[in-house]
Amino acid sequence: MTSILECRGLTKVYGKVIAVNNVSLGIGRGETKVIFGPSGSGKSTLLRCLGLLEKPTKGSIYFNGVDVYASKQDLNKLRARIGFVFQDPSLFRHLTALGNVMLGLKHVLGLSDAEARRKAYEALKLVKMEDWANYYPAQLSGGQQQRVGIARAISMDPEVVLFDEPTAALDVELKWEVIAVMRDLAERGTTMLVATHELRFAREVADEMIFMDQGQIIEAGSPDHFFTSPNTERARKFMAKILG
Amino acid sequence: MLFLLDYSTFIISGFLITVEVTLIGVGLGLILGILAALGDIFGGRIVKIIVNVYVEFFRGSPLIVQLFIFYFTIPMITGVSMDVMVTAILTLALNSGAYQKGYLKGAMEAVFKDQLMAALSLGLPMWKIFLYVVIPQALRIVIPAWSNELASMGKSTTALIVIGVREFLNTGISITAQTFRPLETYAFITITYFIWIYSMLKALDILYNKVKIPGLEPII
Repeated sequence: MTSILECRGLTKVYGKVIAVNNVSLGIGRGETKVIFGPSGSGKSTLLRCLGLLEKPTKGSIYFNGVDVYASKQDLNKLRARIGFVFQDPSLFRHLTALGNVMLGLKHVLGLSDAEARRKAYEALKLVKMEDWANYYPAQLSGGQQQRVGIARAISMDPEVVLFDEPTAALDVELKWEVIAVMRDLAERGTTMLVATHELRFAREVADEMIFMDQGQIIEAGSPDHFFTSPNTERARKFMAKILG
Repeated sequence: MLFLLDYSTFIISGFLITVEVTLIGVGLGLILGILAALGDIFGGRIVKIIVNVYVEFFRGSPLIVQLFIFYFTIPMITGVSMDVMVTAILTLALNSGAYQKGYLKGAMEAVFKDQLMAALSLGLPMWKIFLYVVIPQALRIVIPAWSNELASMGKSTTALIVIGVREFLNTGISITAQTFRPLETYAFITITYFIWIYSMLKALDILYNKVKIPGLEPII
């Protein structure tokens, strides 16, 4: 399968710290891949590089087969085609839920106010937040804010959506609100790359799971593979720790 | 105090000059403050040094000294003299911009830190992030600090007397010189200043409550 988004030999260094070390992976249309691993293993950095929010120190990123940095493409145009959901929802605090979703539709895709409003409502409906459209971020719970963050990302009709531990900052009850939305998106065939510790979710929806540690991919395989017989000791230990 | 009616045209003209230099000074200061804050956040080393020298000079020296420099010293060095009103407004704007830069930078950094990645991920170019995300929030956050700036600038305009601007206090001094009635004249000047500044602060309070958004309270 041709990858929509792919990295080859991606390395990201901050000072003396190697956050991501020579990672190669790709995600094909309609696939859901889950990256998991301990905190500080480089998952978020890898996603930010793939989302074109940070430039890799070394290596290449391909979007629909074209080397993004070598071809000197307009990064803003590409970013609009890659959805990104953050750990902290990072909603724009001066805008309502609807305003948050409409911003990119109007000022990036250039839709009219009416068209942007219609699309934004559709996206909010998909994450079951249409009744909260006129509420400001501070008036919403963490789970609701995260659902608006997801609506904001998917409203742009991205070719792939990257999720950076979207449930990490939420308590158990709110976590499942967000997971339900992500599960729904996966079932609709949305191309997703998800960094998460929610292994139950991964088992249900992932086509492939990728275990990262110390900036490297240690092991990749199907959920069944990881839940039954991971190859490496590190993956086995991590699975045991997470699953209790 | 009825004798002041004889000087009403003179008084009104002085008061309007005070209002004019205050509002234009703070307004231009806001633009300078935004530019200086952006320079300090995004600029290279040289730009940051220029911004900091500007800010430290205007915050660290008396307004009267700044007025002397702009009205007397610079024309002596360059041979180009400026109209007294232009000098007054320019000096007040530069002075106000130095103060406004401080709180605008804090507000902008808070918004950038929190939401820059999210805005970038949508594909918004930097100037649109600035226009649609940063400025609307930063301005709301700084309104309370801005009220202080407006009140302070309104009162600071009395310093313009040193370069001969016919502002409100100057009219009072002239009237006193002609009537020898300082008590009533300065009482009137003081009360007028108080009512004017109090009204401006109340108006900004109303504006702040009108544009206030839950969760977007001042952080400075």
